[in-house]
Amino acid sequence: MSADITPAPPGAPAGLTALRLDALTVRRGRRPVVLDVDLTLAAGETVALIGPNGAGKSTLLQAASGLLPAHRGRVTATGRTATVLQDVRLARRSVRANVELALAWWGVPRRERRRRVEDTLELLGVAHLARRPAGALSGGEARRVHLARGLAVRPDVLLLDEPFAGLDPQAHERLVLDLGPALAASGAAVLVVLHERRDAWALADRVAVLLEGRLAALDAPERLLAAPPSAAVARFLGYESELRLPDGSRLVRDVDVVLDPAGPLGGRVIRTLRREHDVRLHVATDAGTVWVAAPLAPPTPEVRLRVVGGFPVDAADPDLA
Amino acid sequence: MRFFLDGLAEAWRIIVGGEPWLWQLVGVTLQVALISTAVALVLGLPVALLLGLGRFRGRGVLMTLANAGLGLPPVLVGLVLALLMFPAAPLGRFQLLFTLKGVLIAQTLLALPVIVALGAAALREVPAGLLDQARALHAGRWQVGRLAVREARTGLLAAIIAAVGSGLSEVGAVVLVGGNIEGVDQTLASAALQRVEAARFSEGLAIGIVLLGLILVITALLTLVQSGRALRRVGTSS
Repeated sequence: MSADITPAPPGAPAGLTALRLDALTVRRGRRPVVLDVDLTLAAGETVALIGPNGAGKSTLLQAASGLLPAHRGRVTATGRTATVLQDVRLARRSVRANVELALAWWGVPRRERRRRVEDTLELLGVAHLARRPAGALSGGEARRVHLARGLAVRPDVLLLDEPFAGLDPQAHERLVLDLGPALAASGAAVLVVLHERRDAWALADRVAVLLEGRLAALDAPERLLAAPPSAAVARFLGYESELRLPDGSRLVRDVDVVLDPAGPLGGRVIRTLRREHDVRLHVATDAGTVWVAAPLAPPTPEVRLRVVGGFPVDAADPDLA
Repeated sequence: MRFFLDGLAEAWRIIVGGEPWLWQLVGVTLQVALISTAVALVLGLPVALLLGLGRFRGRGVLMTLANAGLGLPPVLVGLVLALLMFPAAPLGRFQLLFTLKGVLIAQTLLALPVIVALGAAALREVPAGLLDQARALHAGRWQVGRLAVREARTGLLAAIIAAVGSGLSEVGAVVLVGGNIEGVDQTLASAALQRVEAARFSEGLAIGIVLLGLILVITALLTLVQSGRALRRVGTSS
C-alpha cells in the first residue's frame, strides 16, 4: 500500500510542510527499489524510516535528498535539505575544521562559523574534541562529529541515514540519548533511516515502515505497535510467532504470551535462550510454536501458557498467504 | 677510483670557489625543474581531477594514455619537438629551438603525464564517501575539487616530487631542444654530459655531485611539506 499524505502530528506546526514525496518511484539500474511512496513531513517533526535490509530505505533517502534521481513522482522541500550519509568519512583535519568546512560548503559566513561549530559540538557532547585530528577519534566520536556537520548547517530538512550504524551498544545508547534533544532543538523536519526498531521508538514522532520498496505503514510509534495495519508489518515489528487459537489466528510477540500454570495452552520448551535479565523460551504447542519471555527457565520442559496480547490475523489479509 | 676522488676534490673546489658558471647552471636547472613542474601542475591538475574523480565513458582509455605517458622516452619527445621547432616547421615562427623557452616546453611535456597519471591515482584514493558527503551538504564542484586535492595531498606531492626530480636530471630532451648552450639553456645534467664528452671527467663528476646535492635538498624540502611538518609550522594544518 502507499500511505496518503498525512496530517502533521500532534505538536507539529499545522500547515508547515517541510518535505513532501509524491508517488515517488526510484530505480537502481532497471530495478525499481522504491515504489510509489507518498510521505509528508511537517516542520519540526521527526519521522523514522524502518524496514528490513534491502527494503529501499537508503535509496528513498538519497532520492529525497536529490542525490539519486526520481524515476517517477516528485520531491518537494521547503527550504534547504542537508543529508548525513551512513558512511562516516571525515576530512584529514581537526574536528573543528571538519564542521567549519561543512558550514563553508553550506555558505555560512566565516564570522558565524566558529560559534555555530562550538554550539553544535557542545550539543552532541564532543566540544572537548574540537582540536583533535579527525583521524584520532573513536568510532562513536567520529559518528558524533559526522552528525554535527549536518546539524551545524541548520537545515530546514535533515535527512539522516542510519546514524547509529557500526556503534557498540554503549556508544549507540549514549548517542540515542544525545541525538534526540539535538534533533528537537534543531527545529528541522527530520527523516531518519534506522536499522533498530527501538531507536525509532526513542527518536521519532512518527514511524514509516518500508517493505519491498513500498510504504507499508505510517503512524505514531505506540499506535503502530498496538495496531499494525497488516500482518507483514506486524511480523516486521516483532510479532514473529503465529498461534492458531480456537477464536482465530493471532500473531504474537514474546511479551504477548506468559507462563501461567493455570493457562489454557499446553506446550513443551524446545529451546532456551539465556539473556542478560531473563530467558527466551521457544515453546511448541498444538496451536504452533511461540517465543515466550520469562524471568527464569522453568524446572521442567512441560509448561502452560496464557495469551495476553497479540495481533489477530484477518483471514482475508493477503499478507497471511 | 681516482676519478671519484678527483671529482670530489673538484666539486669541493668549485663549490667553495663560488664559480659563477656553476651558479648560472644551478639557476637554469632550478628554472627548468620548477617552472616546468608549476606549468604542468596548472595544466595537469584539472585533468587529474577529471580522471581521478570523474565517472564518464572513456575514462579508462584516458587513464591508460596518461600512464603510458610516464614511459615517454625523453629523447623522442626532444626529437619530435626539435623537428617541430625547426624554422620551416609548424612551431618555427615562435623561434623556440635552442632557447630556454624551448627547453621549458619540452620539460613541461615530460612533467605533464607525471602530474596527470600520479595525480589521478592519488585522487582516486580519496574516499568517495567523503566527497559524496560534501555534495550532500551542498558543496559545489570547485569545493569538492579543493577538498579532494587537500585529502590527496600526500600523493599529489609525490607526483610533484617525481616531476621536479625529472626536471632536475633531464638530459635528452634538454640537449635536443636546447642545444646544450652554455650560459643559455645548459642545465647541470646536460653540462655534466658535455664535460664527459669533452673528456673532462673530474669536472663532469663534480657537476654531478652538485646536481645530486641539489636533488637531495629539494626533495627533502618537498618531503617535509609532504609529511605535513612544514605545513604545521606555518599553522595551516587545521
